[in-house]
Amino acid sequence: MRGAQAGSVSDLEALFRDHWPRAYRAAYLVVHDAAAAEDIAQEAFLSAVRSLDRFDRRRPFGPWLHRIVVNRAIDWTRARTLRREVGDESLVTAAAPAQPAPRALSEGITGALADLTPEHRAVIVLRYLLEYTPGEIADLLDLPRGTVNSRLRRGLDRLESRVEEER
Amino acid sequence: MKERELRKRFLTDPVPEELEARERVWPTVRAAWETRERVSWVERRARPILALAVAAVLVGAAVSPPGRVAAGWVREQVATEEENGRPLVRLPAPGRLLVLSPQGPWVVQADGSRRLLGAYEDASWSPNGLYVGVAGGRRLAAVEPDGALRWTLTRPQQVSQPRWFPRTGFRLAYRSGDNLRVVVGNGTGDRLLARDVGPAAPAWRPGERHVLAYADGEGGVRVVDVDTQRELARLPLLDEVQKLIWTGDGRRLLVLGGNGQVEVYRPDRTDQRLWRSSEQAVRDVAIDPSSPRLAATHFDRASGRSRVLLMPLGGGAPRELTSVAGRLGEIAWSPDGRWLLVAWPDADQWLFLRMPDVSRIVTVSNVSREFDPGATGSGDFPHVAGWCC
Repeated sequence: MRGAQAGSVSDLEALFRDHWPRAYRAAYLVVHDAAAAEDIAQEAFLSAVRSLDRFDRRRPFGPWLHRIVVNRAIDWTRARTLRREVGDESLVTAAAPAQPAPRALSEGITGALADLTPEHRAVIVLRYLLEYTPGEIADLLDLPRGTVNSRLRRGLDRLESRVEEER
Repeated sequence: MKERELRKRFLTDPVPEELEARERVWPTVRAAWETRERVSWVERRARPILALAVAAVLVGAAVSPPGRVAAGWVREQVATEEENGRPLVRLPAPGRLLVLSPQGPWVVQADGSRRLLGAYEDASWSPNGLYVGVAGGRRLAAVEPDGALRWTLTRPQQVSQPRWFPRTGFRLAYRSGDNLRVVVGNGTGDRLLARDVGPAAPAWRPGERHVLAYADGEGGVRVVDVDTQRELARLPLLDEVQKLIWTGDGRRLLVLGGNGQVEVYRPDRTDQRLWRSSEQAVRDVAIDPSSPRLAATHFDRASGRSRVLLMPLGGGAPRELTSVAGRLGEIAWSPDGRWLLVAWPDADQWLFLRMPDVSRIVTVSNVSREFDPGATGSGDFPHVAGWCC
């Protein structure tokens, strides 16, 4: 972070490559669409680098980025759900092809996540991918801690039962 | 499923497109970082010594050769940007591009594949992209996007600026020497429309009738019904006309003047001029096919920076979409109005901006080499002649 702020492109690249996997995965696991995940993660990085000079180095970069990613992913999923309900087919054209990889995350996990609301998915992703504590998740999403705990419990139960069904 | 197992699978199981997306996004992030609004260390950290630091900078500037610092900074920006971007793998939006390079016009498909149409110097799409009107030397021709020749005609003078009538393609206007001529869309019925016309390309008015606007040789713009040769309107003397564009409803005519100022006219009214931009030094302008607004590239000589602006067609303050070091060139909307292509010759790049809020930027690097294969030098930067259906 310090080097990127000082103008080092190699440090910026290191920062980008270090944070990309979790940012992209977090977006993908919430939206279940590779093109949208790419857009969301890119937007988050663009927001971050455009205001990099103003960023307080005493704060960690990850939570700042993750908050942008997860909130945008929730917004995107809500918007898609709304469009589906009103029958509007004109989804935003995706720039990247959404081709499933041969060894992608199992249908069990992604399918079970798809059954959850975006808010539930976000909590699961923040907890088990980004490894935030329930207290930190509550702060990030501006939720009561009890709500975070109940969403985690319900989400984990759903994942367990779906994966067991497939076995 | 145990929490530990879930955590492990979230972190390690392959996710579609993760690595490919990373490589696509990195040049864009880097470009955004390099063109960000910079905040000095002083501004971030030490307000009390701000005045002192500014004074030191001023003293430094006073003893530095003026302009050298700025020029060096621009070169540095451009040099670093040249390393950004990626090759032209595919277009970010549906449609096909028509690109004019030193070798001739190229058709670029949405998947990035491209075909050189032949040794022509100018080209334009037919309305539905079924044909391309091409001009080279003294020859005018219609070819299919795969290069197959449909018809051709030869004139005694140099031929250029072929422009198809937008709705049906039943007419094709073109320039031969200093004369403006019109031919039927199948290559027959070639005839003279006007002599001694200005350098700007003519523009067909969308609608039922074959109505054409062109810059005359006296500094004015005329609107003529091509079939009856009746003059419908004449706009007053203007600064040299660079570009003419009709709005989609055929009511308003946009004129880009030689001073880089944009003016919008209603040729059918007595108080013809509706609006004039406050901005000058506009390099190119394009009307959004899906909304009453226009996009423009603007160059500020003093700062050496260019901006991409969005302006409502009815007037109003322009909104800056992005800015870069050096000069920007042509600008083109995707057929669906969701993307904006901006040429950046100083960086040898194209920028694709996702509209309306530039939520995404796709950069294509080494554009001149992409359309001049085998060239050893950097080559001339190609021109975008159209983004069609």
